[in-house]
Amino acid sequence: MANTGTNVRLSIGLGLVLALGAVDRVAAQRVDRSASGASVSTREMLDRFCVRCHNERTRTAGLTLDTMDLAQVYGDAERWEKVVTKLRAQTMPPGGSPRPDEATYQIVASWLETEIDAVALTNPEPGRGETFHRLNRAEYHAVIRDLLAVDVDVAELLPADNTYEHGFDNNGDLLSISPDLVSRYLSAARRISRLAVGIAPVGPTVATYRVHPALLQDDRQHEGLSFGSRGGVAVNHYFPVDGEYTIKIRLHRNFSDYILGFSAPQELDVRVDGELITRFSVGDADALGQMAPLSFSGNIAGGPDWEYYMNTGDAALEVRFPMKAGRRLVGVSFVRRHAELEGALQPRNRGYGRFVDERYDDHASVEQVAIGGPYAVSGPGDTASRRAIFVCQPPVLAGGGDDEVASCARRILGRLARRAYRRPVTDDEIETLMDFFETGYESGFDDGVQFALERLLVDPDFLFRVERDPPGVAPDTPFQLSDLELASRLSFFLWSSLPDEELLALAERGQLSAPEVFEQQTRRLLADPKAHALVDNFVSQWLRLRNLDSQQRESAEYPEFDENLREAFRRETELFVASTIREDRSLLELLSANYTFVNERLARHYGIPGVYGDRFRRVVIDNDHPRGGLLGHGGLLMVTSHPNRTSPVLRGKWLLETLLGAPPPEPPPNIPGLPDRGEGGEPASVRDRLERHRANPVCASCHAPMDPLGFALENFDAIGGWRAHSEAGLPIDSSGTMPSGVQFEGPAGLRNVLLGRGHEFAGAVSEKLLAYAVGRGLEYYDRPTVRQILRDAAADDYRWSSIVLGIVKSAPFQWRRSPSAVTTQVVSATPQQ
Amino acid sequence: MIIKKMSLPRRMVLRGLGAAVSLPLLDAMVPALSAFSRTAANSARRFGVVYVPNGMAMEHWTPTAEGSAFSLTPILQPLASFQDQMTVVSGLRGYWTPAHAGASTTFLTGAAGVAGETAPVADTSMDQILAREWSQDTELTSLQLAIDSRANAGQCSGGHSCVYTNTICWRSRTTPLPMENNPRVVFEQMFGDSGSTDPEVRRARMLRDRSILDSVTEKVTDLRREVGHADSLKIDEYLEGVRDIERRIRRVEQQQNYDVPEVAQPEGIPATFAEHVRLMFDLQVLAHQVDLTRVSTFMLGREVSSRTYTEIGVPDAHHPLSHHEYKADKIALMAKINAYHTSLFAEYLTKLRATPDGEGSLLDNMLLLFGCGMSDSNAHSPLDLPVLLVGGCGGQLEGGRHLRYENDPLMPNLLVTLMDKLGVPVERLGKSDGRLTLGGLTGV
Repeated sequence: MANTGTNVRLSIGLGLVLALGAVDRVAAQRVDRSASGASVSTREMLDRFCVRCHNERTRTAGLTLDTMDLAQVYGDAERWEKVVTKLRAQTMPPGGSPRPDEATYQIVASWLETEIDAVALTNPEPGRGETFHRLNRAEYHAVIRDLLAVDVDVAELLPADNTYEHGFDNNGDLLSISPDLVSRYLSAARRISRLAVGIAPVGPTVATYRVHPALLQDDRQHEGLSFGSRGGVAVNHYFPVDGEYTIKIRLHRNFSDYILGFSAPQELDVRVDGELITRFSVGDADALGQMAPLSFSGNIAGGPDWEYYMNTGDAALEVRFPMKAGRRLVGVSFVRRHAELEGALQPRNRGYGRFVDERYDDHASVEQVAIGGPYAVSGPGDTASRRAIFVCQPPVLAGGGDDEVASCARRILGRLARRAYRRPVTDDEIETLMDFFETGYESGFDDGVQFALERLLVDPDFLFRVERDPPGVAPDTPFQLSDLELASRLSFFLWSSLPDEELLALAERGQLSAPEVFEQQTRRLLADPKAHALVDNFVSQWLRLRNLDSQQRESAEYPEFDENLREAFRRETELFVASTIREDRSLLELLSANYTFVNERLARHYGIPGVYGDRFRRVVIDNDHPRGGLLGHGGLLMVTSHPNRTSPVLRGKWLLETLLGAPPPEPPPNIPGLPDRGEGGEPASVRDRLERHRANPVCASCHAPMDPLGFALENFDAIGGWRAHSEAGLPIDSSGTMPSGVQFEGPAGLRNVLLGRGHEFAGAVSEKLLAYAVGRGLEYYDRPTVRQILRDAAADDYRWSSIVLGIVKSAPFQWRRSPSAVTTQVVSATPQQ
Repeated sequence: MIIKKMSLPRRMVLRGLGAAVSLPLLDAMVPALSAFSRTAANSARRFGVVYVPNGMAMEHWTPTAEGSAFSLTPILQPLASFQDQMTVVSGLRGYWTPAHAGASTTFLTGAAGVAGETAPVADTSMDQILAREWSQDTELTSLQLAIDSRANAGQCSGGHSCVYTNTICWRSRTTPLPMENNPRVVFEQMFGDSGSTDPEVRRARMLRDRSILDSVTEKVTDLRREVGHADSLKIDEYLEGVRDIERRIRRVEQQQNYDVPEVAQPEGIPATFAEHVRLMFDLQVLAHQVDLTRVSTFMLGREVSSRTYTEIGVPDAHHPLSHHEYKADKIALMAKINAYHTSLFAEYLTKLRATPDGEGSLLDNMLLLFGCGMSDSNAHSPLDLPVLLVGGCGGQLEGGRHLRYENDPLMPNLLVTLMDKLGVPVERLGKSDGRLTLGGLTGV
């Protein structure tokens, strides 16, 4: 065909363009411009495959590809970008219609991109974004931690923030404020400031830590608990002041309220930071009389003393003790008895079975630990918070010295306000805080500081990241952010928190935006342990790992599921991704890694031998083993399943959305159901039924690229375990064929397909990370930026640092656009309120 | 109930009359509560909403007969003892296009949201119009409660922000209100978090809060002037929030003697769905009982919820199940979930009926709107919505009927009509284009 010849010539020319990438952009543009045949070929392709639906008459999806001007691609970039997306994902034309070949798809998409990028490069569009960007809950938590050295349970203080369907909860548009939230901020400010300064609560309070009943307590439970311990719980608790506290423990019970394991003697230790507070000896109920039968328990009672003790024996598990203020690890655990069998020989498949188990001869286990206090307060103590706040102490108040008191307070508050507002503070602002100090000071110096701090923590300059337009900026014009704003953007991106002293000082001196300084600071922040925020806040949302907690698996299909497994899933993915960031690996290693992180529970689930104990460690995976790389992570396989079965569709959708950045369109309403049976009336597998569903062209347009991806993972059940047969008992067929004709089988085959589309995968991650970095949804005009980042990163094997640096140096991260003139006029016409 | 076994951190006595009561208000205590009655002689009208997600198994919801002689369907059966106080409304059409997100968003606003990653937009919801109107008389403008947490990623619908599926309450066109799912936090919204049983301590707290709020108002006003109108949406919200709290403080100062039973603060989210729902209902009873507010809304599940209901023998996730492909066995499971919800709702109604309010009971003075913004979930249908009205609305609403409307009038037309009944007439609500006739009691 004549057409083919053109394509070949073009592909050589564009191959050159792509290879040159960032290296010689001017030359690349020249090549591009000279390739006059390109638009002809693109036109031919559109005419041949697309305009049947997308024309002036039918206007399907608002696209008139018959008349859109290929000489002015940039001028209509918004619509052309949509075309590029469809071409890249090869989701158009719909199934059943004639399609271009693989090469044509790529050539035309590349040509359109190059046309757009050539203009965008000289005329970068930064977008505007929200002027008042409220701290979200995770950021609030990190900021409080870094400002005041208190680690508060922020979920108790503030509500979760909203997200977009494919977005993140740091999107400024959605971070709105309701009256309830204002009152929560007020309340949080008071509690946090009192905690930080060390002012005792009005009265003693009780914090209760509960343990999920399906968390098995057969082994040593936590790194923070001593060797030779079994079960129990370790919690980080903040003791607000020096004083006396109580710890009260409640144990798990069975159906008929018998305390589990109380037939036999038990020893229970309470430790704080490893120090033994007390050891309880309880249990041994069988010495008190006739025991109830193990089955029929509850129907046939035991002796009265036995019954009473089995129901109430843990009431005595309470201890009162003096404790110094600060954050401490409280451990409650049983003493392991020597004859006790360990690990593999214990019955295991109990997870949710425990809810319906009438037996009471299980391991004794902790249900909740309630820490009460403070009673008999003896002082504010010497805590990290107080050391962080009180950089000076007022002179002893022996008359006079008021000036010195005020100057010390001013020093304390000025320092805190500068960090809290993330910029130099004005005298007025300090005076505002001093007014509150004066009021609080009537009760003492600490109270003065506390009240001022309470005020500071609800200041709009604290709660919002405010980005101000420079005075006199022309309307509708891009301008560069100030160094101080840039410092906040950088630290909130990488740390979800405020700038540290070094970053802030550089910004104050106006040195941060110097390219070499900025790059060096970016690398420093990325290497800091606080960059784990990227895993906690970006990765957990990008991969949907956050949904792990809400996954229900109480059904009879998965008796082996327990909370230990859920927790292990989370840790595996977090540790794995964190290691790739820390070691600055290629993004592609997220898919290709031949290693993962497991503890004993997870290793057993995965069939990895030789791993004992609760500690997670890196293990290398054999080539023929399906684990290693995100595709084998049980947690991700679980969040993409239904509670009682797998779903190739959900998994395919997830793969398209999160790993390939090409979400399928929303399904239309009133979808015809999957046929129950095959055409001959025989029972059909999900695969067969979906295949018949795809026979409908409307369905096929979404399902053809989606389902095969999901089928490749069908050997993983709804809790990520390996299986050879489906829920229906049919053998698993994990082969798939993409609309392009590419065939693959199983997780390994899928992995190769994805790695073959490594550029798209890296593109999907970059796009998500850019949206997260700038705290807004991406628009069509951000796409050239994403492609630029990718081109640059490709040269560095898509390492994390190359993506991150590409993002922070990009126009959307460093620049903003001023509002349009129309708006400005409205502003000046608005009377002052 | 498990909650009885929880350690109760502290007890709050707010000017207690009578017996100590711990939440949840167990049925056994209802007689104890009967000892209270509000001192106000004339009873105020009240509004409550209970929203259920993912449509309804309509064939098990809609009564066959119309008028007063209708017999209850399986889903309505748990409400049998309230039949004479309830009106089943059929034939209404929701104003929305995108599934799920539209169903929840339009239920009280009558307006649909917008797709994509732009700032959320709908319209002021009915409950919030009432809340604003009645806020002069109560300490709290309104309560917004939910069962599900908002912490989930990527499980929303139709390319819309999750905010649309997580809330049904909109304070303004651009301000969706978060719905709170933690009972402890709701309790603090209601009674404050001063951590003290002493009213003097609470008052001192409020004075401190006020000085902080005054100072913040000043700063926010400055900022607002500085940035200009186009960017001021978020900061305006903040200012409005501050003013709302100031209003509340003034209100508390003016009216210092309302009677509240001694109540222990709930500790957190109960372990099971049913306990959680009951506790949230109890908090609403309490809020109305002591006249803290006259408007409460409650989502029994966020739209597109995928909760499983193993406890009633439904191990399937709700949302996938709601795409039942019209298979009878799946529809039966769906109906089971729906009936479970109405049975919990019936427990709430029982408590409302047992709680005196003015001349009658809370139920007599209240108008409760129960339902969903979607009917046939398999088809994502906005037609013939499942809607139920319960309560006397202060003598404004006659019960014991099944009304069916022809020609698919818009759901917001019902809302406008209800606003008349509640004594707060409005021109329109969202996309409403008229009023409805509610049997003998036409819209005023």
